[in-house]
Amino acid sequence: MITLSGVTKLFDGVPALDNADLEIPTGVSYGLLGSNGAGKSTLLRLISGTYRSDGGKVLIDGEEIFDNARVREKVFFINDETVQFGRFTLKELKNFYKGYYPKFSDEVFDELAKKVQLPMDKRTDKFSKGMKRQSIVITGLACRTDYLLLDEAFDGLDPTMRIIVKRMLVDAILDRGLTTVISSHNLKEINEVCDTVALLHKGRIVFNRDLDSVKGNIHKVQAAFPENRSKEDFVSPNILHFDKNGSVCHIIMRGDENMIKEYLAPYSPMFLDIIPMTLEEIFIYEMEGLGYKADEITEGGEAL
Amino acid sequence: MSIDPQSRVPIYEQIYRGVTELAANKLLSPGEKLPSVRELSKRYSINPNTVAKAFGMLERDGIIYSVPGKGSFLSGGHEDVILSNACREFEEAAVKAHKSGLSQEKMIEIVKETGVRK
Repeated sequence: MITLSGVTKLFDGVPALDNADLEIPTGVSYGLLGSNGAGKSTLLRLISGTYRSDGGKVLIDGEEIFDNARVREKVFFINDETVQFGRFTLKELKNFYKGYYPKFSDEVFDELAKKVQLPMDKRTDKFSKGMKRQSIVITGLACRTDYLLLDEAFDGLDPTMRIIVKRMLVDAILDRGLTTVISSHNLKEINEVCDTVALLHKGRIVFNRDLDSVKGNIHKVQAAFPENRSKEDFVSPNILHFDKNGSVCHIIMRGDENMIKEYLAPYSPMFLDIIPMTLEEIFIYEMEGLGYKADEITEGGEAL
Repeated sequence: MSIDPQSRVPIYEQIYRGVTELAANKLLSPGEKLPSVRELSKRYSINPNTVAKAFGMLERDGIIYSVPGKGSFLSGGHEDVILSNACREFEEAAVKAHKSGLSQEKMIEIVKETGVRK
């Protein structure tokens, strides 16, 4: 289990992560959502023991990870800075990691390297960007750690490699209860691979729930009412968005189907359609609720 | 059975519906073994916990049963569950058609026609 309690990380006095509490149970596939600069990578670097927190505790199975080699060997962090390629060949790289991670599997490493046709005797710093990425992912899977962290998980991998990785994760989850924490901008992938998600915004955790309850708890509503209704008629903290097209009101609302029906019943809708939302839509409306709007971003503007 | 991760319908619900549809169409018969959680997760590259959740719901509703170490099998006598699911889906479709202005007569006509076709 990964436990964060009251964790803060400052950069030049500015919190990249602000008093974060989080529990990630063993065997869960955890997805981190959030805009650029929300704190996703900082969170992963704290969990991997790369950063020391400026307050609070980061525990893996109850023990602090920072500066603790015994705990660090339980965690592998797949991101572009993990592996310093240098003059190493892939074979040398393998032997280096093998010495550090006790459960390292030669078989997994060799099989994967062969599958994607990476040369074992070529200097890795001469590899292309995609090949480097493949090498890190292969190394991460071969280390067979209890915890696997993936930063921008599937970036730079071709579709075949993506499927190979996902299938290996399935085996690892079922056979040895692997826990994964994944950040990705690809919400389709998060939707497939993860069972629990957290939304981060400006260093804070906005919510942290299992994926199905996230999806079951917000809906797109299309309705028409006998009286001419406007936004002001609907006052509820659960309404994230309201607009009107002719006589049809489009409402984005938190709550399950029954809650929404109940809330709207007094307005006696002539018709009412309650539609589930995709993860991408949920993300966009939640971010809008936090004041981060897609339609305010122009070519000249900076995205946070 | 097809799984669309982009769909608005949650993945576990798509699996649930997929299995009940296969059973209703007699493509799965009582006592027949279902693919394992591992096989399904890999085939559709989806999270095994999601597949396990769908299996749990199918078991709760008596559509499948599991034998430890052997896997999951289709139960007999699940017809009522499948029929009540079909009723609910048909009702939803009828309400939608009504909203779009389809007359009751036309709906009945369609029901009769599709009945004949099958």
